[in-house]
Amino acid sequence: MEPHNRRRFLATAGAAALAATAVSCTNGDDQDATPSSGSSRTYPYLGTHQAGVTAPAAAAGIVAGLDVRAENRTELAETLTKLGVSIEQVMSGEAYEDRAGGFPALDTGILGPDIGPAGISVVVGYGNSLFDDRFGLADQKPVELQRMPKFGNDYLVRPERSHGDLSLTVNADSSEAAVHAFRQLLRETRGDLVPRWMREGFNKLIAEDTPGVAPVRNLMGFKDGTANLDAGDEALMNDLVWVAEEDQQPAWAVGGTYQAIRVIRMMVEFWDRTRLNEQEGLFGLRRDTGAPLGQEREEDIPVHDGFESHIARANPRTPGSERNLILRRGFNYVGGLDQNDQLDQGLIFVSYQRSLESGFITVQRRLDGEALEEYIRPLGGGFFFVPPPPADGEPLGASLLA
Amino acid sequence: MTTRTTTGRRLAAVVLSVGLIAAACGDDDETASASASGSGTGISADDVAQETDNELIQEAVDGYRAYVQEQIQTMQAETTVFTDAVRAGDIDGAKDHYQISRRPWERIEPIAGLIEDIDGAVDAREDDFEGPEDPNFTGWHRLEYHLWILEDVSDAGPVADQLDADLQVLADTAETLELPPGVLTVGALELIEEVAAPDGKLSGEEERYSGTDLYAFQANVEGSEALVDLLAPALEEADAELLGTINGQFDELYAQLGALGSYEAGFINYNDVTEDQKSEFAATLGELSESLSLLNGVLGLE
Repeated sequence: MEPHNRRRFLATAGAAALAATAVSCTNGDDQDATPSSGSSRTYPYLGTHQAGVTAPAAAAGIVAGLDVRAENRTELAETLTKLGVSIEQVMSGEAYEDRAGGFPALDTGILGPDIGPAGISVVVGYGNSLFDDRFGLADQKPVELQRMPKFGNDYLVRPERSHGDLSLTVNADSSEAAVHAFRQLLRETRGDLVPRWMREGFNKLIAEDTPGVAPVRNLMGFKDGTANLDAGDEALMNDLVWVAEEDQQPAWAVGGTYQAIRVIRMMVEFWDRTRLNEQEGLFGLRRDTGAPLGQEREEDIPVHDGFESHIARANPRTPGSERNLILRRGFNYVGGLDQNDQLDQGLIFVSYQRSLESGFITVQRRLDGEALEEYIRPLGGGFFFVPPPPADGEPLGASLLA
Repeated sequence: MTTRTTTGRRLAAVVLSVGLIAAACGDDDETASASASGSGTGISADDVAQETDNELIQEAVDGYRAYVQEQIQTMQAETTVFTDAVRAGDIDGAKDHYQISRRPWERIEPIAGLIEDIDGAVDAREDDFEGPEDPNFTGWHRLEYHLWILEDVSDAGPVADQLDADLQVLADTAETLELPPGVLTVGALELIEEVAAPDGKLSGEEERYSGTDLYAFQANVEGSEALVDLLAPALEEADAELLGTINGQFDELYAQLGALGSYEAGFINYNDVTEDQKSEFAATLGELSESLSLLNGVLGLE
């Protein structure tokens, strides 16, 4: 847990001759700078909430679960401090200090010498195991945080593919930027954080982040996120995503949110051989337009007629079910071949909610047993709590460990 | 030359500067057949820092030359015991001496990359060939295959002879080997990278027949530490804090290894090392590698 060399790696935030780069980065309100399509921006590290949660669906991302090697509270504080410094640097888009050629360079070089805005936001989450007896944090655990249970259709045969003391979710405008950010984070916490599992994902963005219009399609070919929450609606976010003071959570958790991650394999070969009528019936959507079956347009309200399609179970639109709405920020993934030479492809489902029970868990229980299960298999993931960013001048984790 | 596969190969001898040691190539095509790279580190004498004005580093270079000589002598003596046992058909005796003979080799692997083809001749894996029975597959791991898989060394005598001969080439060449200072700094790092490499010790690929990876692992760490010890006076001057960090990380690694055995008492079979223990090793190795990657720059080398 010797901070020596990493500190040197990171000593350079001030070397920002590039500060003049026109970044829209501000500390504070993370809603004020809507990106224009095609041009990258930066997201603030500081603020009321972690900016990556409500950032628009990203073109690329990496989602990972990691364990900390710290053995006590002091070492955990050092680890989180280093992680926070590293996150702040990668989100800034600022160049790293040059060193003599006898040293390894301080950054990956993937984004070139100037780096610049690359749409990078990093969401860090605390896992259930962080609150075990190692750090004396049991009484600081968010009240609903728990180890992700096995749901009906889950195939979580390898626990090392799931859970973790921490989650890291990197969002970026390109795969290269996501890889750059993730490698910097791992390198600058080497020896302190041990990755358990990771998935790399992508989205081909097909629309602006407009309510009622899905920005992406999943790898089953269907529009995904038509009824997603509008992350730009601050009141809605306060209602359904951000933990508030009246929620009886530990004080440090106010302004945070619960994160559910699910790596969901899709049996794509099987799916591609399935009749279109059946596919559309399973989802309750038309594949081409995304419109609910029997409706004209994507944004039309579905009429649930008794058959429990995926969208009817996920969002039944019954009185009270609006409390179960969640903010989804997932990625498609392609993971090569499985042991049987079948394509390992699917969805890295990521959702954010003010209440894990009212949000993801309730939705998943309604989905348990759905007909679509024949074509999908959740393989891993985990539950985490995304804390608010540290106060300006404080290290990551300061409020948790105070 | 045999077909080179890229599977499991590190950068190794590929980047080697042929000019440096043409003498070592030998005119025996059988020896040179080992175009396979084995597990050697990827140092090329031309690619590392060639000179320094720092007398403390120059002393370290002299010290390392002596260390290498000492290790080579031990290696030849121990390997002869090993190969004699093979030739005598003494399978148990040979197994007992297999890793003892490899220990000096694993400690000085940085110089293997400086001697063309030697690594491929003595430390290649079957992946570099058509399979374990490929006649071009020579060296320790071919004998490991005979001892642990075939449990029959009746036709392994020529392989044993070849190993002795190849190590003699190594010994002869090493006497006149140029040792630029960069070999020390880069070598200390490469020995640790070697442990964590996909085809290295951590994966259990290297000693796949015998499960004795922890022995070679320990020897790699010892070789890296020996380099840091030789460079310690120079590091003391340049960055004492880094030296302290590195020494602490070596201690941590030795403690993890020590929990699983020792050369003297024997290490557990690598198949019995748990995923959690491997994960701990990976973390410690990673941390140490990051520190060692600073040696070259901290000492002002190019």
